[in-house]
Amino acid sequence: MRAALIGAGQIARQHLSCLKTLPAVQIAGVCDLSPAVAESIAERYGVPAWFTDHTAMLREVKPDVVHVTTPPTSHFRLAMDALQAGAHVLVEKPATATLAELEELLRYAAGQQLVLTEDYNYVFNHATREIARWVETGQLGAVVHVEVMMALNLFGPGGFADPNARHPALTLAGGALADFLPHLASLAHRFIGAHTRAHAIWTKRRASILPYDELHAVIEGAHATATLGFSATAQPDAFWLRVFGERAQASTNLFETRLTFERLRDGPKPLQPLLNGLEEARAVRRAAIGTLMRKFKPGPGTYDGMWHLISGTYTALAQRTPVPVPVEHVLEVNRMVEALKPREAES
Amino acid sequence: MRALVTGANGFLGRRVVAALLAQGHSVRALVRPATSVEEIGWPASVEVVRGDLRSARELAPAFDNVDVLVHLAAAVTGGEDAMFASTVSGTERLLTAMAGAACRRIVLASSFAVYDWSSIRGTLDESSPIESGADLYRRDGYTIAKSWQERVTRRFAAEHGWDLTVLRPGFIWGRDHGYLAACGQQIGRLHVVIGPFSHLPLTHVDNCADLFARAAADPRAAGQTFNVVDGPGERIWSYLGNHLKRSGEAGFRVPVPYTLVYGIVSLAFATVFKRNEKLPHVLVPCRFESRLKPLRYTNRRAAELLDWHPPFDYAECLRRSYS
Repeated sequence: MRAALIGAGQIARQHLSCLKTLPAVQIAGVCDLSPAVAESIAERYGVPAWFTDHTAMLREVKPDVVHVTTPPTSHFRLAMDALQAGAHVLVEKPATATLAELEELLRYAAGQQLVLTEDYNYVFNHATREIARWVETGQLGAVVHVEVMMALNLFGPGGFADPNARHPALTLAGGALADFLPHLASLAHRFIGAHTRAHAIWTKRRASILPYDELHAVIEGAHATATLGFSATAQPDAFWLRVFGERAQASTNLFETRLTFERLRDGPKPLQPLLNGLEEARAVRRAAIGTLMRKFKPGPGTYDGMWHLISGTYTALAQRTPVPVPVEHVLEVNRMVEALKPREAES
Repeated sequence: MRALVTGANGFLGRRVVAALLAQGHSVRALVRPATSVEEIGWPASVEVVRGDLRSARELAPAFDNVDVLVHLAAAVTGGEDAMFASTVSGTERLLTAMAGAACRRIVLASSFAVYDWSSIRGTLDESSPIESGADLYRRDGYTIAKSWQERVTRRFAAEHGWDLTVLRPGFIWGRDHGYLAACGQQIGRLHVVIGPFSHLPLTHVDNCADLFARAAADPRAAGQTFNVVDGPGERIWSYLGNHLKRSGEAGFRVPVPYTLVYGIVSLAFATVFKRNEKLPHVLVPCRFESRLKPLRYTNRRAAELLDWHPPFDYAECLRRSYS
């Protein structure tokens, strides 16, 4: 299959690194508004053609799949152009600036028998997949509640709060935090499904150009609940996912490799905390070393979920089977995101 | 002569502005919108214009009545892609604006980083090969960005027929910038000096700024590339010793032969680390060489073509940096 990328920044390089490992995929073209960015990425990844005009690339390269890896407010137009050129689209999160734009894209894609899918990479991280396996095998029991909490310093130089060059994500409703909201929502959705009710509180702790730096939300699903959180001031950086089941509780820091379980055990009840504690200590020690070693190893590193999602998507497209993030999941996650966006009065 | 100076409030930029003023030129300083310039103490004659090369939409007015662009702005921190966007895409924006103006002269601050250190033996000079092709992407993000910045600038200059001078400084040092990457590996108070007798390609910030100001005004510099070093360079051992003594930092120096460490790094890279380029810089052989390889350096070209001799000797530079 022929792949092409629009937008050749940091996240595009993660896509390209993965695509280079897929034998059935030919990277046919890359495009960026900056000629130097486009040319250097093409030189670096051995891509035969580079462009600064995406319509020229779509016309000349005729890709089967287009990855849209530009800032979010440009996604709608670029994804629509790619669909109209007859390509399937893998769009980086957030898929579009508004739900209405996404619905329009999905309607058009369905009419052309094309796939539009969104990158929920953390849903496909090893730890998330392992927790999902515990759910599917019954080891965790029925899911009762999910906690998703990201702590990430956004105030560093060159980051989202840089007053010198406004980050494109600041134009989204909710500002920089809206860039992370699909991660939180997609993880909650993975374990509780579509939401029935949602309530979010958007606040600001530190003076900066960010409209908000703190978000906390409660979600109700059909059979379980979730809380979502984002803090730009809580430190150290971490991305906690905790899934509470009727038989066990799973906890992982998705920025690292740490994954621990606490479970009901047979045997004397007073020994349960001891056995769980010893097991957790072993897992934490292994993960501490694993997280360090991961930095020294080739491969996806923290992007293992993205690699899994991209390779799974290409396999599914080739075999005409459902992609890892099917259209109904994209819609449900984005409806959840829409329900959590700050209301007019807050913004 | 009126010069537009980018990166004017940076470590080198402040001294370049001072050197241009001292040589009787007018200066327009381009600084980022949220940067405070009051504490720099520029005279009222320095015209400050605001803009960030990463996002500025309208840079053309900055070139009004400008005779020469002294382009120093480059990112020195941040991730690889952020550095590229800032340094290279920023240069594209800046030079696109210049293409619509009357200014036809550029002095670009490039870097010693652009050289292909692995293939150079003996003396590194302006004729030494620069890093290119796939090997460039094995180097660090700063090198990739600076190499592309020079490449982009040369293309613009060739396309528009501009007079370009490329200055490639070695390690620029000065007050609060005494500790250099080439000083070795610091572990707490311990300084592992890799190749203690190697010379450092040093240029004191005041000497370096003097050459930038000279090159901006001297027509003999047009179309030329110059390495900027003050001379053959101090040895790492004595330079670090001076730094520790004069800065008052407590520390012990431990000498380790360059060849031994390079051998271990190369062996580990090829075996244990399976040529993984995500490793810390000191563990990737080509990056290790670009910081620490023992070579010889010369400023002969600037001396011959521009009659340039660093105005301040090493003792005076030490005094300026630490007293």
